[in-house]
Amino acid sequence: MANIREIQSRISSVKDTMKITNAMYMISSSKMTHARKKLADTEPYFYALQGEISRILRHVPDLEHPFFDMREKIPAEERKIGTIVVTADKGLAGAYNHNVVKLAEEILARPGRHKLYIVGELGRHYFARRGVEIESSFQYTVQKPTMHRARDISGVLIDEFRRGELDEIHIVYTRMENSVQADAETLRLLPLERSSFNEMKMPLNVHREAIALYPSVEAVLKAIVPNYITGMIYGCLVEAYASEHNARMMAMKSATDSAQSLIRELSIVYNRARQAAITQEITEVCSGARAQQNRR
Amino acid sequence: MDTFGLKIIASDKVFFEGRCRSLVLPAPDGEVGLLPHHENMVIAVEVGIARMEAEEGKWCEIAVGTGFAEIVNNRVTLLVDTAERPEDIDVRRAQEQKERAEEQMRQKRSIQQYYHTQASLARAMNRLRLAQDKKWNL
Repeated sequence: MANIREIQSRISSVKDTMKITNAMYMISSSKMTHARKKLADTEPYFYALQGEISRILRHVPDLEHPFFDMREKIPAEERKIGTIVVTADKGLAGAYNHNVVKLAEEILARPGRHKLYIVGELGRHYFARRGVEIESSFQYTVQKPTMHRARDISGVLIDEFRRGELDEIHIVYTRMENSVQADAETLRLLPLERSSFNEMKMPLNVHREAIALYPSVEAVLKAIVPNYITGMIYGCLVEAYASEHNARMMAMKSATDSAQSLIRELSIVYNRARQAAITQEITEVCSGARAQQNRR
Repeated sequence: MDTFGLKIIASDKVFFEGRCRSLVLPAPDGEVGLLPHHENMVIAVEVGIARMEAEEGKWCEIAVGTGFAEIVNNRVTLLVDTAERPEDIDVRRAQEQKERAEEQMRQKRSIQQYYHTQASLARAMNRLRLAQDKKWNL
């Protein structure tokens, strides 16, 4: 059995750690409520945008636009694939980062020339160590996602896509199913896929409302598509932020719980050790006294 | 007078929802006015000032960012990345934003960054214009 002092210092160190995990739990839970509110605020805009693109595609079926260009002529090995990976800035969030990294690794294993755009310090360190090509000028944090940052990110990527530096753009992020479940998933941002806007098959005899695009198709798409991508990235950032804090909250909760059970166990051991010491002392005193009596 | 259904959705909130008599939007080639029973149309919207007449004779100005408006069956949906009333605009912040953008424009940057700053300068100046106009009216 360990000595009393050792156990005591162990208990106090566990208590200190528990204070930290408990504080982190509370911080994460408040940040998560923030993020969820943000998510709820931006949802109408996001869905309306998505609905709008699908409506335009439905009414203007023969639309030719660079954003819809699949660039099929480029063979799979030659395709330049850019992936935005949204990780956390730090660990201590359970499996959150591992899931994202694992999914990103799966994408890297596919044919093509890959380039990573990483949001979040942890992922940047991980992939830098792995020796994967990372866009070094792409330095954004995941804390407090704003529309401004999403606009920055989408600006960079749309520009690269237009110049032909990238043929496909994907994003890896964590989507929050509900408060207990969050899954890492990938999404293709560009080129836009017609089928992804759940295009309805319309029978021929139904009257199609004609929608004029003003001043021109290009001008309208130029206004919509970058906004759509920005909105998409913003949505992903907010979603990832909310799930990060959810994951951290749960990790910290279980850490606090296990610290509590550890303290309980340790205090039992401590009490036993204390009892043993007392008993031993009493025995020593008694046997000493008896030895004195016998001598007389 | 007839009205039409108007819904203004900004990226962070639903800005306005209700009936409207007429609406003037900043389009890439000048202002576009919408009255009830307009033809079905999608209009690109630039950074600028939109005006809407929700009740008779009462015009309300809104600073809008880029986006588009869609008119279908006498319903108008205006989707823009930002929408602000003049009283919500923080003049100081807009001023700071403008100065920051101007500062960045002065530094030699890549073309892409140049367009980026230009866009943010346009937003700042638009906010300032609307906020300052109001000040003179007081």
